[in-house]
Amino acid sequence: MESSKTRVESEGNPAAPPDAPEGAAPAPPRGADAPGVPRRKPPPHLWREGEVEERSRERAARLPREAPLLEIRGLRKAFDGRTVLDGVDLAVGRGEMVVVLGANGSGKSTALRCVVGLAEPDGGSVMLGGREIGGVRGAQLVAARRQAAMVFQQIHLVRRRSALDNVCCGALGRLPLARSVTPALFPRGLREEGMACLDRVGLADRAADRASRLSGGQQQRVAIARALCQRASVILADEPVAALDPAAADQVMALLRSLAHDEQLAVAAVLHQPPLARRYADRLVGLLDGRVAFTGAPEEVSTAQIEALYAPEGGLL
Amino acid sequence: MAVEVSSLSVSRIPPPPRARLFSRRGLLTATIVVAVVAVHVVAWRGTEVSLGALVDGWAGMVDFLSEAVPPDLRWNAVLLPAIEASLVTLYTALLGTTFSVPVALLLAVLAARTTTPGTAVYQASRSVLSFLRAVPDIVFALIFVTAVGLGPFPGVLALIFHNVGVMGKLWAEAIEEIDYGPVDALRTGGAGATQVVANAVAPAVFPQFVGLFLYRFDVNVRSSLVLGLVGAGGIGFLINESIKLFRFDEMLTYILVVLVMVVVVDNVSAAIRKRLA
Repeated sequence: MESSKTRVESEGNPAAPPDAPEGAAPAPPRGADAPGVPRRKPPPHLWREGEVEERSRERAARLPREAPLLEIRGLRKAFDGRTVLDGVDLAVGRGEMVVVLGANGSGKSTALRCVVGLAEPDGGSVMLGGREIGGVRGAQLVAARRQAAMVFQQIHLVRRRSALDNVCCGALGRLPLARSVTPALFPRGLREEGMACLDRVGLADRAADRASRLSGGQQQRVAIARALCQRASVILADEPVAALDPAAADQVMALLRSLAHDEQLAVAAVLHQPPLARRYADRLVGLLDGRVAFTGAPEEVSTAQIEALYAPEGGLL
Repeated sequence: MAVEVSSLSVSRIPPPPRARLFSRRGLLTATIVVAVVAVHVVAWRGTEVSLGALVDGWAGMVDFLSEAVPPDLRWNAVLLPAIEASLVTLYTALLGTTFSVPVALLLAVLAARTTTPGTAVYQASRSVLSFLRAVPDIVFALIFVTAVGLGPFPGVLALIFHNVGVMGKLWAEAIEEIDYGPVDALRTGGAGATQVVANAVAPAVFPQFVGLFLYRFDVNVRSSLVLGLVGAGGIGFLINESIKLFRFDEMLTYILVVLVMVVVVDNVSAAIRKRLA
């Protein structure tokens, strides 16, 4: 079932095609772990003095005037009588990187899963691109949800297919059935778009490699490229770096932030690492017992507030 | 390297108590053991197993074998027809296995809990697979012999029908066992059910499907041999004829040819499965 045609073609053309969509960066230097992003602004690995003000100014300039791309209001969800989400509000604007923090079971992942339809909310509303998706059904609902793409902790690539084939699968929702039953039938334009998406995450040179042959960090970047190929305006990342080593985690977080800032996407990431959240988020949201405990820029949120999220019931041991 | 730890410093906590013989779990285990033994005793009696009869009849078996050895290895009269007939057996198995692929594939997708479009379709396709599996290929062969006459063709038809049932079931189980993460990923991207099956399920099950296909081909080579005994051509037919004519030395030649064929098929399919793994 492997498409030899696609393989040969992508091997012969590892760099982005000349007519790639705008935003495609030049091909990165060849190498196993070429830093994906952002090449212009290396990720700050240390908290620098003065950066706070600088970042606040930047954010003020970007502040969304339009409706948020993703807006969740009063979201409720219970599993077998156990309340997981108890009226959660969350809005993510264009160009904004929001990190959601919270202990296990605080409902972080469930909130994201409710947006893409992997879980059905019991109440509340989800709006994508300013449009309520609770009221629409069938094909319209699928089309509305396609604005949001999910990136998973377990990455969920098709292991036996090439990186490029995996990326192109993000476009299945807008592809006619006759052109989508096997990668060999994917239109040339889609494969070129897929190459540009792979190039955006710095992996154009690995396009023909099987997904299973890539490292964990590379696989997660391929999954992000798949989300880009979906042409989603909202990227939801469910603990995207939980399975990665610190360097790969930094690379993936920097990529997500760059997609928010440079591609003007709305990015919401669920994280378990407060330091990583502080370093990369424009805004932090803390969930505690299914409710929003705090929301604010990293410099506005105190360490004590974050620690309170993880305090075991009945106090610390 | 190992650090000596004095017994004084080893802390000990009593483990939870073990289940006693007369606890509910102990009784359940004892009941299951008794029931299994009882079923075997009943089966022993039901099949009239008798070691005495085997000892008494030993002489008959020795006669049979002494007539079979040495095998009749005349090229034109025995060996060449045997090779030709075993090729027919091989062809029967091949067509019976490959022609069952499309229907087995469809039924497997419909009969896997994870890919079925609905409960009704799931139950219906499961029932069809169960029926095809329940009817032995030899019964299918007898039915098709009445339709198309003696020869390898009814054997091919019989294998197709029975193999759809078995391979469909095995494939459905393989589909249910894959990792469903990529399926969720594509579904949230807006892919339809068919697109998901083609792009996430199919690549994941492909190696198992090929492995099971080769295993079924393996089994069908031996099945088509048995079908030959009821008139569906091939080397099975020759074996049956030689037994009827008391030509046990010819029979031994046929069996040796079958042995070679089975070993070759076995090795080839093992090599292919190894490459795929």
